[in-house]
Amino acid sequence: MIELEGVSKTYERSANEMVSALIDVSLHIGRGEFVAIVGASGSGKSTLMNIIGLLDLPTEGRYCLDGQDVTRLGANHQAQWRNKKIGFVFQAFHLLPRTSALENVELPLIYSDRKSISGIGRKALEAVGLTDRIKHRPSELSGGQQQRVAIARALVNEPDLLLADEPTGNLDRRSALEVIAIFQTLNRGGRTIVLVTHDHEVANYSNRMVTLERGRIVADDNVPESRTALMEAQ
Amino acid sequence: MKASRLAKHSLRMMSRYKLRTSFMMLGSLIGIAALTFVISVGQLAQRKIVTMVGHVFGDSTIIVHTGGGAMMGGPRGAGTRLTVDDVKAIVKQVPGVTDWDARQGVSLTVRRGDARDTAQVQGESERSERVWNRTASRGDFFDETAVTGSARVAVIGETVAEQLFGHDDPIGGDIQIGSVPFRVIGILEPWGTDPHGMDEDNVVVVPISTLMRRLANLDKIEMAKLLVSDPGQAEQMKVQIQKVLRERHALSAGQPDDFTILTATEVHRMVGQVQRVMFFYLPLVAAVSLVVGGIVSASLMLVSVNDRMAEIGIRRAVGARPGDIGLQFLLETATTILGGGLGGIAFGYVVAQTGAMQMRLGSVNPWMAAAAGVIASSVVGLMAGVLPALRAARLHPVEALR
Repeated sequence: MIELEGVSKTYERSANEMVSALIDVSLHIGRGEFVAIVGASGSGKSTLMNIIGLLDLPTEGRYCLDGQDVTRLGANHQAQWRNKKIGFVFQAFHLLPRTSALENVELPLIYSDRKSISGIGRKALEAVGLTDRIKHRPSELSGGQQQRVAIARALVNEPDLLLADEPTGNLDRRSALEVIAIFQTLNRGGRTIVLVTHDHEVANYSNRMVTLERGRIVADDNVPESRTALMEAQ
Repeated sequence: MKASRLAKHSLRMMSRYKLRTSFMMLGSLIGIAALTFVISVGQLAQRKIVTMVGHVFGDSTIIVHTGGGAMMGGPRGAGTRLTVDDVKAIVKQVPGVTDWDARQGVSLTVRRGDARDTAQVQGESERSERVWNRTASRGDFFDETAVTGSARVAVIGETVAEQLFGHDDPIGGDIQIGSVPFRVIGILEPWGTDPHGMDEDNVVVVPISTLMRRLANLDKIEMAKLLVSDPGQAEQMKVQIQKVLRERHALSAGQPDDFTILTATEVHRMVGQVQRVMFFYLPLVAAVSLVVGGIVSASLMLVSVNDRMAEIGIRRAVGARPGDIGLQFLLETATTILGGGLGGIAFGYVVAQTGAMQMRLGSVNPWMAAAAGVIASSVVGLMAGVLPALRAARLHPVEALR
């Protein structure tokens, strides 16, 4: 599903200082995998996720998503792909303030080509167990609930790929486990999940761990006995 | 479908930020209120001018005014030498004059018992009714005998009647003009306020001979109005009248005229000048304040692009194209300014109506001002939205999410 070949990303920090965030990264992720990308801060894992999520373009190399080369996609096509195929979950939840849970979840639908959007958002909130919080605003929800709203938003257009950037970073242990449990359930349902974290414990709930160091992949291992979050949460 | 969904969503989002939205509305509200006020009052004044000019100045009118130089208004001191005999000479020597009337006026105190009023007292002839186009709405106008006999009869305006007689019937009543007793024989057709705010009903008309001999001890006249048979000949007649008057006043070649001759052409030009002020320069001033309001709104919106960086990032992440983001910001700015504009139209209308009522100008017709306000605020709104929209659209999603 995701094929990165020799991808590099270089930023211009100032006029004569270039910073390489990613150096010659090749990575294949198949449909239905649950992959954790781990690394310290500054290792390039966020840059990698931005490129996988079509929020950013590589300076070198090739990126195929779903068998199509998306390396040089224009901004409008990138947006369309993100809308249809990719769901994002962020560390800071990134919900719109002063906006109800349902409206937040419906946000991707607004930018979709669908004719009618009624009912879809409500179903997505049901899927994350927040039926009774539909009209609540983010400020009226706990961190775990906010992150579940964000997951519902990421899923509302039924994307094949879910990208999560430190999704448990702002949560207590119990809420974190709940969120991971949702990811595991989704993964069992066939969705591809890429999770970026600095936390090896969180990575242990995935099936495969890719380790980044200073912009390069230094390890790529299967997680032999991955843990199940649902049981631990209960 | 998608566009209307996006529009509805944008409007709903705006309603969540009431303070920011109201501040942005304020700028256009003030500008549009000024525009509405200027246009509606301008329209009223214009209507008034056209009616007033219509009262005294048809196409077949020539007015000869004493004093040279300035067309209207301003002091016309010593050296004013126009007489009734001058006018009679014009009528005799210039063919084509069908009717005429000379007029002199002074401001005097008019009394009845303890009631008093300072009014414009005008001496005119019995032809005044026809020539000046103002009859007695009640009672009678005076006749030729009254003029030849310098009779002490007066036709008074509504304001004078009200001041002196209150609820009593003025017809047949006795009044004093200065210290001379007069009998009221009629009430003048009401004309209301003139464009300068002068009350045209605070007037007393008496025979011109009476005014000259008994009230003011004058033999000069202020002006004369001539009616001509063929308006097309008015300009040639003007030249002839000028010649007659210069001869009679013994003016040598280098001396300027000591009188002014007005024809329809000149009056139309003057009305045109007034209209240019009313409908070009005044709205221009109001438009400047609107543009300033637009700039204020645009900068507020630019600042809000920075404040809403995270929101823009989220929208981009979930699939908004740069154009969708730009459209949202453009729409928000335009609707806010249009909304402020609608408020401004209402506010300006109320102020204009209040002012018009106090100045007794009649009631305001708001439609033209409203149309101008809607168009102006839409244009300013779209223009003010362009920069914030571009800025928001060009934001890189990764940077916006940081």
